[in-house]
Amino acid sequence: MIDRLLDNNLSWAATRVRIDPGYFQRLSLQQSPEYLWIGCSDSRVPANEIVGLDPGELFVHRNIANLAPPRDINFLSVLQYSIDILKVRHIIVCGHYGCGGVRAALTEQRYGLIDHWLQPVADLAHEHESHLQAISDFDTRVNVACEHNVRTQVESLGKNPFVKDAWRRGQKLSIHGWIYSIRDGLLRNLEISVDRPKAVDALSKRPWFPDD
Amino acid sequence: MAEKAKRAGLEPMPLDLLNEPLVWLFAEHYRHRDICARLTRLSTEVVCDEPALREVIDFFEIDLPLHIIDEEDDLFPLLRRRCEPEDQIERVLGMLSLDHSRDQTAAAKVKDLMERALEKQTGLACLADAGTIIANFCALQKNHIALENAVVLPIARLRLSDSDLGALSKRLSARRGRFVTTGSEE
Repeated sequence: MIDRLLDNNLSWAATRVRIDPGYFQRLSLQQSPEYLWIGCSDSRVPANEIVGLDPGELFVHRNIANLAPPRDINFLSVLQYSIDILKVRHIIVCGHYGCGGVRAALTEQRYGLIDHWLQPVADLAHEHESHLQAISDFDTRVNVACEHNVRTQVESLGKNPFVKDAWRRGQKLSIHGWIYSIRDGLLRNLEISVDRPKAVDALSKRPWFPDD
Repeated sequence: MAEKAKRAGLEPMPLDLLNEPLVWLFAEHYRHRDICARLTRLSTEVVCDEPALREVIDFFEIDLPLHIIDEEDDLFPLLRRRCEPEDQIERVLGMLSLDHSRDQTAAAKVKDLMERALEKQTGLACLADAGTIIANFCALQKNHIALENAVVLPIARLRLSDSDLGALSKRLSARRGRFVTTGSEE
């Protein structure tokens, strides 16, 4: 069964070379992506594929529920390397509707270590509990929380010292919040992009719900 | 003549309407009402009308799921971002999302009914639970469509900008396999 993956790889590499004989040689010489993608680990959200980019064009960090935790050394290393060394121009936080991590954070059910990882999402849900509880359909509540989780990560990134330092240096860097639907393969721009500290402040003041 | 019209197939959606997403959704609601009328007619028939049953199955397998995604993953989230407090939109959208979830359950029962009728090569009137299942689905649809047409679509017309409608149009089209390149996304 596992051999199928190795066979698939042979087929993929051969097809690539057939289409473009110099492809891997070029790819091996440099990596200069313009985008850092922070997405969910969910196997149904293949970052490169849904935005139509080739290997080498997207620097990717994925974890459960597409978090940008300010004390996670793995995430911080990715962020610092992508900003300071790769000099990416855009950071995209991409959540997805129906996210299992967000769903888990909205329930009382215990899953183990992952509950600790998802604590920030649970805190966010708690913060907006009265509004979220007013949404009678649980799946919709999860989807709204997925959008809010993306916004929280965008705000958090906008306040991150690596990002702030880049802006202070005059480096061009924008942070975007998108959401993907596994049901149709389409991305939605949540219109929460920020490209300077003032934009982050403005985003922080924006209401979360129409009746906030 | 009237009988011929009644027997005619379900009218396909004119794809040009995808350029006007709110009109598209309104037209789909009209079609959903048509489906309910067809189901009600089929529920009284003792002879198996295979083309009509298959048409209804197609509707439940393709059209209805797409329509629910159009609203749940596109129109409703957009309205949440655009509406003003006085629109009190959350309560309405919450009810409609719950309806969609019930619609899917009710639709699965109707589809199962159609498949049973096809398998037995019989009319729906010969299946004991047909009347109840169809009446339940149609009642749900009727209330749901009335609320969307009377409340949601008028608010959408008021709050969504041309740019919103353009982006919505592109996604509705993409969901149906059409790639629209004109204009800019959001």
